[in-house]
Amino acid sequence: MSDTTATGTPTGSASPTTIFPARVVHTLDPAHPTGSAVAVRDGRFLAVGDAADLATTYGGTIDDTLADKVLLPGFVEAHSHRDSGGIWQFTYVGYEARRGPNGRLWPGCTTFDAVVDRLREAERLLEDPDEPLLAWGLDPIFWPGDRLDRRHLDAVSTTRRIFVIHSNMHLATVNSALMEAEGITPDTAAEGVPKDGSGWPTGELQEFPAMALAGKAFRSFFGRQRSDESVRLLGNVGRNVGVTTLTDLGTSNLLDDAIVRQWTGLADETFPLRVAMFHGALMSAPDGDEACAADLVELTRKSTDRIRFGNVKLLLDGSIQGGTARLRWPGYHHGGPNGIWLIAPDQFAERLLPYHRAGLQVHTHANGDEAVDVLLDGLEQVQVAHPRPDHRHTVQHCQLTTPGQYRRMKALGMCANVFANHTWFWGDQHHDITVGPDRAARMNAARTALDLGVPLSIHSDSPVSPLGSLHVAWAAVNRLTPSGRVLGPDERITVAEALHAITMGAAWQLRMEDQIGSITPQKFADCAVLDADPFEVDPVELRDIPVWGTMSGGVLHQGSPRSA
Amino acid sequence: MATMNTRLPLTVIGGYLGAGKTTLLNRLLADPDGQRIAVLVNDFGEIDIDGRLLDSATDDVLRLANGCICCTMADNFAETLDTVRGFADRIDRVVVEVSGVGQPHKVAQWGHSPGFSPDGIVVLVDPLSIRDRATDRYVGETVLGQVARADLVVISRTDVASPTDLEATEAWLSGVTDATVLRAPVPAGVLLGPAPRAAVEKGPPSEQRPEPEHVTISRRLDGPVSRSSIDTWTRARPSGVVRAKGLIRVDDRPADRTVLQICGSSTTVAVDGPWDDGDDAVVAIALPGTPRAALVKWLNLLG
Repeated sequence: MSDTTATGTPTGSASPTTIFPARVVHTLDPAHPTGSAVAVRDGRFLAVGDAADLATTYGGTIDDTLADKVLLPGFVEAHSHRDSGGIWQFTYVGYEARRGPNGRLWPGCTTFDAVVDRLREAERLLEDPDEPLLAWGLDPIFWPGDRLDRRHLDAVSTTRRIFVIHSNMHLATVNSALMEAEGITPDTAAEGVPKDGSGWPTGELQEFPAMALAGKAFRSFFGRQRSDESVRLLGNVGRNVGVTTLTDLGTSNLLDDAIVRQWTGLADETFPLRVAMFHGALMSAPDGDEACAADLVELTRKSTDRIRFGNVKLLLDGSIQGGTARLRWPGYHHGGPNGIWLIAPDQFAERLLPYHRAGLQVHTHANGDEAVDVLLDGLEQVQVAHPRPDHRHTVQHCQLTTPGQYRRMKALGMCANVFANHTWFWGDQHHDITVGPDRAARMNAARTALDLGVPLSIHSDSPVSPLGSLHVAWAAVNRLTPSGRVLGPDERITVAEALHAITMGAAWQLRMEDQIGSITPQKFADCAVLDADPFEVDPVELRDIPVWGTMSGGVLHQGSPRSA
Repeated sequence: MATMNTRLPLTVIGGYLGAGKTTLLNRLLADPDGQRIAVLVNDFGEIDIDGRLLDSATDDVLRLANGCICCTMADNFAETLDTVRGFADRIDRVVVEVSGVGQPHKVAQWGHSPGFSPDGIVVLVDPLSIRDRATDRYVGETVLGQVARADLVVISRTDVASPTDLEATEAWLSGVTDATVLRAPVPAGVLLGPAPRAAVEKGPPSEQRPEPEHVTISRRLDGPVSRSSIDTWTRARPSGVVRAKGLIRVDDRPADRTVLQICGSSTTVAVDGPWDDGDDAVVAIALPGTPRAALVKWLNLLG
């Protein structure tokens, strides 16, 4: 880094100006699409242009750190959860390689032996013999006909409790030491505790009532997701993939003062993220929705430049891969029963109304097309009774949303946040099993949404799929599946459209479009700093572009060194 | 060591919107039949407690003068149960409200958590709307699933439904569930079964603490019973029996405490820890009109 003091006449306030020359700056602001440097003052963009011209005009210091980098607006992930960071407090044993928040590459555990070896390595690092060994990411779908059970885990330790949660977060496998400590025996009568030929539980605990039998390990797993460390890790995870704003979409109970204080306290000017916090009103409205809405309106006064309150999350159905999303005719291709409702269809409008009237923004989870019908009917009812311009209530996931539904969304003033990563992570399963080839090709219809004028963002739902906006963009642009299919080529969008979706598109639906989402004067100086130009690389290599790190509020945050 | 109350019985109460859950829960809190019930609800807003009954209130817990408490469920149900465990020495049982679209049989699985024991799945139905709901495009499967997996179905709104509606509802229910079907109002002691601390007299079966019209009967056992007599007892159950609970020893597992339980259509026999020298006893509650002699004969099958 070479700093040189430029000459020139400062404009406006006397705060210092820093000029960051770059290989190229893509502002995603059509009024001034590219430049070769940005000037930053007071944590905001002052101007875009050429370094020498900026120095002449504004004066200040030139910082050459990013001179060979490509700058884009900081990426905005409009559907993620706080445990994207906290989960890394535990040992990863998933099938696919992932990179942790500190840059370490965790190779996939593709055999039971690899899982056992990974756990042994982690076990050796634990000093307190009473501390449970907690791990995550196991996915038995990759070992059809064979099942990891307590005996495999007993090979890791016969004395320390081991708790391995599966990638779907609904199942866990534990070892014999844990079963003994928590009294899980042949007499355990709970559903979701399968027994082997000897009558002993296999070690698998299915669904939450059974997983909770793991007692201390279960509590520790979920308790540590709320630790201060989990917030710090979330910052690292975002920084490493160029994300400068993300959401905690309904994972936190914002009526709990301690949680509010934790976030606003930890997210100071050195924190690399802005976080739009959504209150999970489905489970946390103990005094009813009216009272909850009033409390959330009050809470908006505690918003900071980095932590934003005033948003609400509701859920209507489950997931398509879990068979719990609500589908229109003809239902699931595999013939399974239709999914579940998390809010009664009759009650949706009633639950939405208090938040809508209070001026809060509501993002509603709806995976299946039948759930979207209920959402649209409910919002229409609410809008007719209490019209509110520019509410930007958003449908989250939109996985099977039809063109007719997108037209209604447009007419109702709604936004779409499409689960683009699904095409890669579950596309083949959707094609072969869940909805069949035709509907699979129409899933996550970003092209249709854009063509019909619905404000669009695309997302990862991290940690359901890994946080990484370039991967999400890549998925929407290419629609590739692991088996090599292009799933629904007519729903592909362009690189420019995908980059807009992960910046301005997301900023719009978080009502932050005047502060983030493009490199535009007055906005927060938030950038994704890349080693290659996404407009120049082969679109199929979009996800492989190395991310140097980010700038957040004018402060540089270099990503973790990527170790092998 | 405690005896019958070492684990808190946990009963779930479900049913679609408008089925009468709120009315029932408010009635349980107001008239808990001498039991100290912890009622877990989604939303305090629905709870209607006479101010004179209210003893104290915090954000999460209302305490009533009659010993009952009411808690809202946190987003993490395991944590809610931790809270309830903190009250274990002050309450007799737990009743959990299931959301209108929830599946009570799934929530009932929490009854296997340490410190609790599952004690029945009760589903309420509105006789004026249930048959339409069951064919509804959106919620038909949900409603049918709730009813099909119930142990006890209680038909609500009996004050406004016509006898024809009630009979048609009963006929319809008999085709979609094996649950025992009752008409509201059902007293707390019948709906939830006998109080865990109910005194059980020694000796031959005896009538005690009669519910208005319902028949309550108990028997103290003198020692382990045979496994085969339990099977016989289960099969010979008189049709009017709504609830029964027994803590007994079985000859093939004399060191363990075995719990016999009947809730409506469901009979369970489960081992629940070591035998701890309490009284071996069985208590049963039957519908009005059930012949007492038949119940005596039935309880005597255990031996």
